[in-house]
Amino acid sequence: MGDIAVTEPATVLSNSERETLMDVGFDDVGTRAATGVLADSTMKLAQSNDAGVVIMPLAEALRTFDFVQDLMFSLVDPEANSHIRMVAEHMHDPLGHFVWVKPGAKVQLPVQTFTLLETPQGRQFTHDVTLIDEGAEVEMISGAAAPSDVHRGRHISVCETYLRPGAKCRSVSIEHWGAGMEVYAYSYSRMERGAQDQSLSIALAPIDHHESYASCTQLEDTTSVAQSICFAPGGTERVVRTETILAGTGAKSEDLTRMVSAGGRILNDARLIGAAGGTQGFLGCDGLKLGEDGGIVAVPALDARAEGAQLSHEASVGMIDSEKLSYLMASGLSEDAARDLIVQGFLSLDDAAVPSALKSHVTDMIARAKSGGM
Amino acid sequence: MAEPSPFLEIRNLSVEVAGAPVLQNVSLRVAAGKIHVLLGPNGSGKSSLLAAIMGLPPWRITSGAILVDGTDISGMSVQERAQLGVGMAFQRPPSLDGVSLSAFASALGAESRLAEAAEALDLADFIDRDMNVGFSGGEIKRWEVLKLILQGPRLMLFDEPESGVDLEHVMAIGRAIRKVVSMPDAEGRARAGLVITHTGLILNHVAAAQAHILAGGQIVHSGDPASLFAHIQANGYTVPTAA
Repeated sequence: MGDIAVTEPATVLSNSERETLMDVGFDDVGTRAATGVLADSTMKLAQSNDAGVVIMPLAEALRTFDFVQDLMFSLVDPEANSHIRMVAEHMHDPLGHFVWVKPGAKVQLPVQTFTLLETPQGRQFTHDVTLIDEGAEVEMISGAAAPSDVHRGRHISVCETYLRPGAKCRSVSIEHWGAGMEVYAYSYSRMERGAQDQSLSIALAPIDHHESYASCTQLEDTTSVAQSICFAPGGTERVVRTETILAGTGAKSEDLTRMVSAGGRILNDARLIGAAGGTQGFLGCDGLKLGEDGGIVAVPALDARAEGAQLSHEASVGMIDSEKLSYLMASGLSEDAARDLIVQGFLSLDDAAVPSALKSHVTDMIARAKSGGM
Repeated sequence: MAEPSPFLEIRNLSVEVAGAPVLQNVSLRVAAGKIHVLLGPNGSGKSSLLAAIMGLPPWRITSGAILVDGTDISGMSVQERAQLGVGMAFQRPPSLDGVSLSAFASALGAESRLAEAAEALDLADFIDRDMNVGFSGGEIKRWEVLKLILQGPRLMLFDEPESGVDLEHVMAIGRAIRKVVSMPDAEGRARAGLVITHTGLILNHVAAAQAHILAGGQIVHSGDPASLFAHIQANGYTVPTAA
């Protein structure tokens, strides 16, 4: 069971670590239900202030709770690909967070988990397991970052998330890696009867190559609303692959992705599978190019395998509309200010998806990203 | 006594769109503090004239000049014209997803004027709505006038501000136009306005000084707004003959 404490040990995180983490959503431990911080190959902090939340290093969780071994590599085969195999090779001493929100817990404050890659040219392989138990409700903030002086390195992660029947989760994940880094992130989740998930993913900082794959299996009467925004300045390549499997009657999903290229390249490959009748799913992929360089490719795919599966998608990719620019400039805005306003509007998020604790931070990140300030 | 130099002076203006002429040798003078009205059938060039003054693409001036307070703006960009003090209420503005009225006002540095101006145009509940997204025709027109109030240009161009607007709001729009044009700018200088109208309803509220009939890309007649509109109602867009 995780420690119960309300203040962060002063020596656990350095000032520069705190500064790096705050950029991806970190706040004082006392303002969070639970906090986990993993730096390079060490869990620096795993602390819970809420009796309903357990947080600890995954290796410790495997020794503490018998059921954790059944959760690990249950949603993905450790041999699925070469990256996941690398993570699995560390199975004897896995590195990552284990978060357990206990049955029925209504967690008032957010749970926050972070991963830092602090060593230049570091190689990091992490595995997080999250269990939101039956009827539990929680808001989660996760972040991944490198300090500003760490430009190069490689991070490979596997996340497995379980939402038990009736569980409700609202989550935000923010990334700010080094500009020359390579990141491969694999995420798998399983939502059981009546579970609800609302997620927001924000990836705005420059990065050499970022590849993510997220697969979600939704059972009966589950609801998932996923929003993601990503930005690719020159020199950044992002590959975003998602797969949503509506496997139980009454499952509903909405997956909205907004992409902005300012010279970088983005591939969004989203697949929605209606595997059961009485399911509804929507994919929305919108891309905005700010100039001639770079590119955005949106590939939404619908696969209705059962009668009564209703799937739809909308996709658009284009340059900034010159009519909108002229309209705003005719109102007295400079061309830069008009572009900023259009991009900010394009990346604007459904207010309900952003936890109040992060609203101003997210707005500020978007403003910095489009002005090249990240 | 010499005639005072007009605030807006259009000299022998010809304009084309994609190589097709839309205005020929248009000349027009609007004094500071005055509102003029443009009348004319569909396709006569009214909107093209406002777009050419604003400098919007794809309208291109092929000859002539547009002077605002003595400065030739013919070669200026949209942004330069706006910064010089030209503004326009669009007839069919684009929708801007994610850009709220308040975000726009903030970008313009006009947050402090938004609430009161929105209230006057019955748009108080709209300030968190995205610009022109899901607005009715009448709401768009009211927003366009509000937008000009926030911008505060010296030369205000209104492209059919009352079309699609219910009678109650035509009065609000007309009053707002009259008020904003008659109010001096921050430096105490008079403004001027040019209003396109099809219905003529706005004439009851804006106190226009003069009206012009455009036909076939040319100004064919200028005169008193009320009597000219009465003539058009009776005879169509014809040139009145001397009594």
